[in-house]
Amino acid sequence: MLRRTIWRQRRRLLLGFPLLIAWQLGEAMTPVVIGMVVDHGVATGDTRAFLLWLLVLAALMAGFSLSYRFGGRLGLRSIQEESHALRSEIAGHVLDPRGADTDELPGEVLSLATADADMTGMVVRQLGFALGSIVAVLAIGGYLLVTDWVVGVLVLVGTPLVVAVTQLLAPMVARRTEAQQETVARASGVASDLMAGLRPLKGIGAEDAATQRYRVASRAAQRASITMAGAWGVLAGVSSGLSVLFLGVVAAVAGVRALDDAITLGQFIAIVGVAQYLAEPILALGELSAQAAASLASGRRISRFLQTPALVEGGALTPAAPPRTLRFDKVTAGPLKDLDLEVRQGELVALVADTPLADDAVIRLLHGTLRPDRGRVLLGPHPLDDLTLASRRDALLVNDHHADLFEGSIHDAIDPRRDLSEEQLSALLAASAGTDVIAAHPEGLDHRIRASGGTLSGGQRQRLTLARALAENRPVLVLHEPTSAVDAVTEQRIAAGLREARRPHATLVLTASPALLDVADVVVVVRNGTVVGRARHRELLRRDPEYAGRVAR
Amino acid sequence: MTARAILPIADPATTTRRAWRLLRRHRRPLVGSVLLFALVGLSGVVPPYVLGTIVDLVQDGTGSRGQVLALAAVIVVSALVGGAATAASAALLARAANPALAELREDVLDRALHQDAERLEQAGTGDVMSRVGDDVRAISESLDNAVPEFVRAVVAIVFTMFGLLVLDWRLALAGLAAGPFYLVALRWYLPRSAPYYRRERIAQGERAEALMAGIHGAPTLRALGRHHLALQRIDHHSRAALVQAVDVYALLTRLFGRINLAEWVGLTAVLVTGFLLVRDDAVTVGAATAAALYFHRLFNPIGAVLLIFDQIQAAGASLARLVGVLELPEPRPSSEVVLRQPVLRLTGVAHRYGDGPDVVRDVDLTIAPGEHVAVVGSTGAGKTTLASIVAGQVIPSHGEVTVAGRPYGAIPSVDLRRALALVSQEVHVFATTVRENVAMSRPELSDDDVWAALRVARCAGWVAALPDGLQTRVGHLGHPLSAAQGQQLALARVAAHDPSIVVLDEATAEAGSSGARDLDLAARAVLEGRSALIVAHRLSQARYADRILVMEHGRIVEDGTHDALVARAGRYAQLWSAWSAR
Repeated sequence: MLRRTIWRQRRRLLLGFPLLIAWQLGEAMTPVVIGMVVDHGVATGDTRAFLLWLLVLAALMAGFSLSYRFGGRLGLRSIQEESHALRSEIAGHVLDPRGADTDELPGEVLSLATADADMTGMVVRQLGFALGSIVAVLAIGGYLLVTDWVVGVLVLVGTPLVVAVTQLLAPMVARRTEAQQETVARASGVASDLMAGLRPLKGIGAEDAATQRYRVASRAAQRASITMAGAWGVLAGVSSGLSVLFLGVVAAVAGVRALDDAITLGQFIAIVGVAQYLAEPILALGELSAQAAASLASGRRISRFLQTPALVEGGALTPAAPPRTLRFDKVTAGPLKDLDLEVRQGELVALVADTPLADDAVIRLLHGTLRPDRGRVLLGPHPLDDLTLASRRDALLVNDHHADLFEGSIHDAIDPRRDLSEEQLSALLAASAGTDVIAAHPEGLDHRIRASGGTLSGGQRQRLTLARALAENRPVLVLHEPTSAVDAVTEQRIAAGLREARRPHATLVLTASPALLDVADVVVVVRNGTVVGRARHRELLRRDPEYAGRVAR
Repeated sequence: MTARAILPIADPATTTRRAWRLLRRHRRPLVGSVLLFALVGLSGVVPPYVLGTIVDLVQDGTGSRGQVLALAAVIVVSALVGGAATAASAALLARAANPALAELREDVLDRALHQDAERLEQAGTGDVMSRVGDDVRAISESLDNAVPEFVRAVVAIVFTMFGLLVLDWRLALAGLAAGPFYLVALRWYLPRSAPYYRRERIAQGERAEALMAGIHGAPTLRALGRHHLALQRIDHHSRAALVQAVDVYALLTRLFGRINLAEWVGLTAVLVTGFLLVRDDAVTVGAATAAALYFHRLFNPIGAVLLIFDQIQAAGASLARLVGVLELPEPRPSSEVVLRQPVLRLTGVAHRYGDGPDVVRDVDLTIAPGEHVAVVGSTGAGKTTLASIVAGQVIPSHGEVTVAGRPYGAIPSVDLRRALALVSQEVHVFATTVRENVAMSRPELSDDDVWAALRVARCAGWVAALPDGLQTRVGHLGHPLSAAQGQQLALARVAAHDPSIVVLDEATAEAGSSGARDLDLAARAVLEGRSALIVAHRLSQARYADRILVMEHGRIVEDGTHDALVARAGRYAQLWSAWSAR
C-alpha cells in the first residue's frame, strides 16, 4: 500500500520532499545566521558587514518561506490526490461490473472511502517529515562531530536509541488507533442503516429507540477514542520526556568536558545551542512512526476491502451478434431441480413458482451470483458462464423487483444519453403506464427524482423502472413482479403494453399476476423446483386447480 | 451543481453560543487539561534557562562537576515532569473532547431523525452522514491539534516576552514592530479562507451522497451498465472537495509567507536596534544577541497562535453544519395523553405539495374505533398522500384532522405515534437482531411479548427456525430474509407497538403476488381490534374492510362496502372486475 502510494505520487514527492527538507534546514540555519549578524555586524560595529549579513538573513528567510510554500503545496496535493485515488478505487470496487462480495454496511464503506482514505494519504506527510527529521539529526550530528567528537558520537548514537525506545510503543498506539477507526466505522454503519429505514422507523415513532441504537455505537467509538488518545498521550509524553532527558545528558557531558578544558567555552555554547534543536526531530520521529502505523492500519483496511472477491466472474467469449434467446437446460441449483425453460425471440414467457425462493434462484442464476450444480443456463447457444460480462449485459437485462432509481430527472432515469426519439420515448412510456407518472408532475419528463426515488409512490417508481428497462431494449429481458405495486386497471394496461413493446424480443416474467399471465405466450408452472406444466394461462386455469388457486386473488 | 435542499447551516453567532455551552458542560477535564498543558509549557522553559546557567558557570571558571551535574539533573526532572504532564493532559483533553463530540453527533442524528421524512429525503442521506462523520472528524482533529499547541504557545510567548523585557525594554519594543504585520496577515487570510472551508464541507456532503447512492444502487447500476455514470459522479464530487482543500491550503501557505515577513520585520528591527544600542554602548553585545535569539524563539509559538484562528475557522465550518441541525425544531415532549379507542376525523381536508396542484381535495372522513377502511384507486389518485395525512406525517394545506376530538397539531408526535402507526411501502430490515427489529419502538418488551407479536404476524414459525431464534442477526450481512419475511417483520413491529389505529400504505405490495396471501392474513391478524386505514391495490385486502373508499384525482368518489360498491357498477366495480379477471 505504502509503496503504491509513493509510486503514484512520485513526481510531486521528488520535487516536494527536497523543498520541504530545504525549508527545515533553512529554519535550523536561522539562529546560526543571527549569530553571524551579531559576530560580524553588531559586535564589530561595521555597518557594511552588518547590512550585508542582514541581507543574507532576509535571503535565507525568503528562501525557506518559498520552499515551504511550494513544497507544502506539493505535499498537500499529493496527500489529497492519494486520498482521492483511494476513494475512486473503493468506489470502483463497489461499482465494478463484476460486483463485490463485501461484508460492510454502506456507512462502513463510506467511512473507508473518507476517514480511512484520508488517513492512508497522510503517509505521504509522515514520510516527508521523517526524511526532514533524519536530515536534521544528521546535520546536527555532523556539526557536533566537527565541534567535538565525543558529543558528536553521543548524539549520533544516542538519538537513534531514544527513537528506538519510543518505537516500542508504536504497535500499541497503532492497535488502539485501528480499534478506534473500526468503532467509528461501525457507528457510521448504524447511522446509515437507520437512515435507510427512515420511513418504517418514523411510522411507529421509533426515532428515540433508533437514536439509542446509534448512541450505543457512538459511545463505543467514544470510549475507543479516549483509549486511543491516551495511548497517543503516552507516546508523546515518552518521546518528549526522552528528548529533553537526552538534552540533559548532552549538557552534563559537554559541561563536564568544558570544565575539564577538553572543549572551549565557544564550542560549549555552540553545542548547547544546537543540541536544543534535537528535541524537535526526536519528538517528530517518535510520533511519526505511530502515525505511520495508524495510516498503514487504514491502508490495510482499505486493501482488505479491495481484495474482497467479485460476485460474478465473466467468461472470455464475446459473440459476434448478441444472443437473442434464453434457455435453462436441466438446471439444478438451490431449490431448482432439473429446471427446463426456454424463451425464444418474440416470445413472452411467464414463470409461476410455488415459492418466492424459486424466483430468487432464477434471478440469481441470471445475475451469475448462483451457479448451477448441474445443467446450464444458455444465452443463445452460449453457456452464460462463458460470456464476458459486457456481452451478457448487451444481450440480457434482469430488472430486479427492488431496482433503484437515482437522483436526476425522469428523462435521465429512462434515457440518460438521449438516444431515443420522441416517438420511441412516448411509446415505451405508454407501454409501462409511465405516461400517468409524467402527467402527475407539472414538470413532466423534467421532474427531478430524489435520491432513492423519494418523491414518487411505490407504483410510480415501479412504472419508471419498467420504462427504463424497456428503454434499454435488450434482446432478452427478465422482469420480477413488475406490477406488484400498481392497481388492477393500470396492471392490465401494462400487461398489454409490455406484450406489444417486447414483440421483437424475448421476455421472461416471474409473476403470479393474472393480467400478466394472460398475455404470456406460454406460462411455465414450477412446483418443488421443477416444471410441472407448460401452457397458456387460460388452459392452465381450466385443467390445473392448484395453479388456479395459486393465481386466484 | 447541487439542486438538493441540504439541511440548514447555523450562523456564526449561534454556532459560537452552542460551542460555549458544549465546552462549559465538559469544562472540568478541559480546564484540567489546559492547566496540564500549561505545565508542559512551563517545563519547556526550564531547559534553555538551565543551559544558560551552565554556560555562566563554565564561563566563570568557578563551577564544579557537581554543580554542572546537579543543573543537568534539573533538566532531567523537567523532562520527567513535562513527559508525565504531556501524557496526562492529552488523556484529559480526550476525556473532554470525545464525550462532547459523541454527544454532538448523537444529538444531531437524533434531531435529524425527528424531522419530516420528506425534508430529510430532500437533503439526502449523505448530508446527514457527512455531518455525523466528516464534520465531527474535522472538529476532533482541530481540537487535538489546536488546544495543546495554543496553550503551550501562550506559555512560551509569555515567558519569552518577559525575558526580552528584562534584557532591555528598547529591544523588546523593537520586536513589537512585527505586530502590525502579523495582524495584517491574519486579517488578509481569515475572510478569504472562510468560504473555502464552507464549500469544502458542502462538497464533502455531496461526495458522501454520491458515494451512498453508488453503494446502495450498485446492483441496479451494474445491471443497467450505468456504473460508469455513478463513478463519474463520485469522482466529480470527490475532486470538487479536493480542489477546495488544495486551494485553501495554497491560501494558507501564502499566510505562512506573510507570517515569515512579519518575523523578518521583527527580527531585523531587534537586530538594527541592537546594532545602534551597542554602537552607543547602551547595551552589551551579549544582551543584543540574547534578544535576537529570544525573538527567534517566538517564531513558532506566535505562528501556532495565529494558526489557531485557521483551526477555529475550519472547525467552525463543520460545527456550523452540526449546530444547524440542532437548531431545527425540537420534538415536543410527551403530554402523557393516552388516546384510547379514539375516533379519527378528517374535515374538509385538501393538500398540495409546494405550489403544485391539489393532490387531495374535499375529503371528509370518520373512522370509528375498530373500523377498517380501505382506500383504493388508480396510482396517483392521492391515496398515499391521504394515508400520510391520516398518519400525521403530512400536515394538510387545508382542513382539520382530529383524533379523539383533539386536533393533530395539539398532540405531541410521540403521543400521536403511540396511538397511531404507519406501515409504508418501504420495507427495511434493520441490521440487528430479530428481537430489536420487532421491539424497535418498545425495547422494554419481554421476549414473550416479542414472540406474541411474531405469532400475530404469522412469522413465529420461521423465526423459531432461525439459527439463534430471536437473537439471530438479520438485515444487511445478517441472515438473509425474503421480501415477504421482511414485511412480516414490519407487521410484527406494529403488533409489538400495539397502537389503536394503524395506517397500512400498500404494506403488502413489495412481496409480489406469490407471497401475498400469507401477508394479507398476517396483516388482517395484526389489525384485529384496531382501527385501520388500508391503502391497497390488492383488492383481496380491501374486500374484507368494513368500508371501501375509491379515490380519483384526489377526491373520494365512492364509499361503501365491497358488495354495495360492486352492485353499484361504478369505478370500484371496474377495478374489481379487472382484479378478479383470470
